[in-house]
Amino acid sequence: MNQNTESIPAGESRWKLSLDSWAVLFALLAALLIRVGILKHVPW
Amino acid sequence: MSDAAVALPQVRSSNPAWNFLRLLPGILLLAAIGYGGKLLEQNVGKYAKAHHWTFPNIEYVLWAILLGLLISNVIGLPQVFRAGVATYEFWLKAGIVLLGARFLLGDVLKLGGVSLALVAVEILGAIAFMTFLGRAFGLRPKLTSLLAVGSAVCGVSAIIATKGAIDADDEDSGFAIAAILALGALALFTFPLVGHALHLSDRAYGLWSGLAVDNTAEAAAAGALYSDAAGKLAVLAKTTRNAMIGFVVLAYAIYWASRGQAQAVGNKAAFLWQKFPKFVLGFLLISVLATYQFFNKEQVGALANLSRWAFLLTFAGVGLRTNFREMRKQGLRPFAVGAIGEVVIAGFTLALVYGAQRYYHW
Repeated sequence: MNQNTESIPAGESRWKLSLDSWAVLFALLAALLIRVGILKHVPW
Repeated sequence: MSDAAVALPQVRSSNPAWNFLRLLPGILLLAAIGYGGKLLEQNVGKYAKAHHWTFPNIEYVLWAILLGLLISNVIGLPQVFRAGVATYEFWLKAGIVLLGARFLLGDVLKLGGVSLALVAVEILGAIAFMTFLGRAFGLRPKLTSLLAVGSAVCGVSAIIATKGAIDADDEDSGFAIAAILALGALALFTFPLVGHALHLSDRAYGLWSGLAVDNTAEAAAAGALYSDAAGKLAVLAKTTRNAMIGFVVLAYAIYWASRGQAQAVGNKAAFLWQKFPKFVLGFLLISVLATYQFFNKEQVGALANLSRWAFLLTFAGVGLRTNFREMRKQGLRPFAVGAIGEVVIAGFTLALVYGAQRYYHW
């Protein structure tokens, strides 16, 4: 959860997504791909 | 902040394609080590059996961590891999969100409710004891606060969040982070041994790991080293603990501001939202979707496997970012305070879990 205290360098927008938010978006996108059948089987 | 034990990305370019390419070597290294751990788990046991050797069954989690430790401490981690290796936090959080598919909402509410009660007791007990210990050892007050938050809530993340909120200096946060990481690394090896010696159930052990191991990656790894079910529970308990971070950091920020040694907190609701770990919401959302059968059985299986792969990369990262030589440079006193505190907190949380186990007949 390092996102909370990362300082924002000059020139970068303040609404830049945190690491947490990127991870959540990535996981939700993967879940959606599995749900619609694009990602059918994930072996282990 | 100390880079003693954590490989953090160093320089950011304004070119997104270059930023992504820069991560690739490290991510590939995480994947190679994680997959190497899986291969070793499958093949070492077979080889030992074929040659009539007595060899313990070592899980892929431990192999991945050991391979990472070996590279980090013997060879050293080349610069080209560092940015990508630092993504292990990203994989950890994505893995936790995806793990939500393996929890029905009822389980989350029931186990999360039990966890929440235990977490509240653990946080209060840990903060009180670490504060007492820091004073007894004559540590600087802000270093004591950082160690207390790190051991009570969620390790490195909580220390970093609190550092900003109470205006602690880099040296103090470096000490606290090194102590918490070193103790987390030790927990990986000691917790499963204690769990097996006490014949703890998967549920009791998982809750204990989630309550007592401070850093989320190490808590997940310590749980998974015991069993898959214990790993699930460890993540749930740790996620509940993580959800408390905002409240604890806010309390410390107000305390230090009242003493004129930190900036006053303006909008408290905004402060809480800023500190709140968003992956907890993602975990709950996936759990709700799984509960209402948005995913079929095969899709839940695919989500669970994807979560395992994400954790595999995390476990490789835990080994790679742990450098004992760098940790030793941080000095012994904070480590001693952390170690004594962690042993007492581990014993205290073990008693809590035992009590809950008897009360709920797990």
